Amino acid sequence: MSGAASVTARLNAPARFLLGLGVLMAFAALGQALVGALHLPLPGSVVGMALLWAALGAGVVRLHWIADAADGLLGILGLLFVPATVGFLQFLSAGAAWGLWLLVMTAALLLGAGAAGLLASRLLRPEGTPERP
Amino acid sequence: MIWLTVTLLAFAAGVLGQLRLRSPLANPTLIATLLVAAGLLAGGVPYDTYLRDVQPLTTLLAPAVVALAVPLYRLRALLARQWRALLIGGLSGTLTAVAADAGLAQLLRVSPDAARALLTAPATSPVALQLAPFTQAPPALAATLAVLSGLIGALILPALLTALRVTHPLARGIAIGAVAHGVGTARAREEGEHTGAASSIGMGLAALSVTLLVALLAQ
Repeated sequence: MSGAASVTARLNAPARFLLGLGVLMAFAALGQALVGALHLPLPGSVVGMALLWAALGAGVVRLHWIADAADGLLGILGLLFVPATVGFLQFLSAGAAWGLWLLVMTAALLLGAGAAGLLASRLLRPEGTPERP
Repeated sequence: MIWLTVTLLAFAAGVLGQLRLRSPLANPTLIATLLVAAGLLAGGVPYDTYLRDVQPLTTLLAPAVVALAVPLYRLRALLARQWRALLIGGLSGTLTAVAADAGLAQLLRVSPDAARALLTAPATSPVALQLAPFTQAPPALAATLAVLSGLIGALILPALLTALRVTHPLARGIAIGAVAHGVGTARAREEGEHTGAASSIGMGLAALSVTLLVALLAQ
């Protein structure tokens, strides 16, 4: 294992990025395949995230293989949603109804996040200093 | 190619705008969305044509969501210690939002199609898309309202949580992710790794709980 670590450490940054991207895409594909095979009504990528988390925990995938690619992709996560957000153009004909939709959506967001934030604040266990035993 | 170029440059302009203006409305995703939409309308370009052009970005979304496992793994000890707050906070936030979407849509007499599409707005758009056959919502509308819900959440929720004096990064993150999933998580990551990781847990829990709820109600 230490041999494998030293090999990946010798990769230059772009090559390590490609290795990481390949591993991330493999887990996305794995999640997609699992969802298809088991007929789960979940996005393949969310299942792939859980699988990768498990693989990191089990030591099958090493953090340093994927860290650069993961940080790079997550740094532009907001960009990757633009194709979907532009989709509102398909429903411009709904016109004034949008006001109502946005009102309902906004109220639900405020109520949901307010409840979650206040409840989680109360339930968080006090953490001492980070090096607490 | 041209619309992929426009999208990349519009997002870069959005990031610059965010650095310059330091206003919560100066969100890169919002700025890019408005610039691209204006361009498409001005050019009379149909959405389907645009979607074909920006296929590379859509392809990268799946590995990016998978990559959310990395901060979760880095912070695993902290997240394991606080699992109760994250689980209960996240689930109650998502279910409150679904109930509010359902109740308000009925109260305000939203059209049946939109009311059904709003039900899945607190879950990430691929979940909304896959649940559309069960809620009998138009799939494209369900996915659009979900992703817009994330965008609006990214714009307003940090200020709401500050007003409610929710200051702990994990509490802020779980609240944002529970209702504003992907775009919300992108925004939560701007506050730091702890907020971002809690938000991705909220997003995962919302995907699971909304799916379970719709599956139960569809029986």
